[in-house]
Amino acid sequence: MSDQSFKGSLITSRLIASLATRTTLETPGVLRLEPTIQGFLARLGPAALQNLRKPGSQDGTYRQNGVPATISDGTARVHLDIATDIAYTALDVAETVRRRVRENISHTGLTPGTIDVTIVAIEPHRRATML
Amino acid sequence: MALEDIPRLGCGRSIDRIWATIDRPPTAHEEHCEQCQTARTRLQRLGEATRLLRQSDLHDPALKPRPGIKNAIMDVARAEVRRGSSILLRSADNGTTEISEQALSSLIRIAAAAIPGVHSRRCRIEIRSASLPGEDRPSGTTGTTTTARPRLIVNLWVAAAQGIIIPRTMEALRQKISNALPACVGISAGTVNITVEDLYDV
Repeated sequence: MSDQSFKGSLITSRLIASLATRTTLETPGVLRLEPTIQGFLARLGPAALQNLRKPGSQDGTYRQNGVPATISDGTARVHLDIATDIAYTALDVAETVRRRVRENISHTGLTPGTIDVTIVAIEPHRRATML
Repeated sequence: MALEDIPRLGCGRSIDRIWATIDRPPTAHEEHCEQCQTARTRLQRLGEATRLLRQSDLHDPALKPRPGIKNAIMDVARAEVRRGSSILLRSADNGTTEISEQALSSLIRIAAAAIPGVHSRRCRIEIRSASLPGEDRPSGTTGTTTTARPRLIVNLWVAAAQGIIIPRTMEALRQKISNALPACVGISAGTVNITVEDLYDV
């Protein structure tokens, strides 16, 4: 793992993934994070995940609910697959998510790197009116 | 596997062929061929052992999946379908924003569902993207922003209700899609081609 020590504390890629997950889910207009196969296997157990990993993939990447986060040279990078509420403009939601995740990463003392966002679904919220 | 690698009996019949027909009565050749009869007997034993093992696994509590596992698998499967291919909407130093074609297709179908007398069928989206460095930088962002500004070509096939005025209804549908894409995604619709390929009874 490429965990980074900072002022006596240890910031792990697991923490960054968790932080990004929580920040994303708290952003207005985000309905959910989309699950990934690797995230699903991670929930099943470490053995299942190990079977999927290729040798050499132990590069400090961690996935929390399918969110991969990587720390390298003091810079944290995250990829997020999100579903957005149809009542919001998806591009604006993605931009807000990126800004908030970057802010929260900077609070850990790490440098926020690229925060890539993929909008996988746009759906009506359960109680929202259609278009 | 090359043809000569297929395991064959001395009579020339392949083991695979005998295995594939093991549940059926023996053929005329197999009734008289000693090698085929021996192979069938052995394969039937193997088949029975396989069946028993399968039955045993079905009722083994240690192999029962945890509650909710099926739903979790289906969630992942649906998400993988939704991922499909993606369109780059925005690229900058601080990250990229992409959208899946499936998300756009779903949005267009939702828009079509709001027009009475229209049932959407297939939807195909083509992209002509032209990167324009430094344009449309959203407020609050820093660094170099490249907005991919994809030009969408939406091709939608629909069925129309009998009795509706098709040109007027399709214009309303085109307008609905043209409004939905900027409002819900933040990009312009570009070209919207609609093909009425069928009529349905109301």
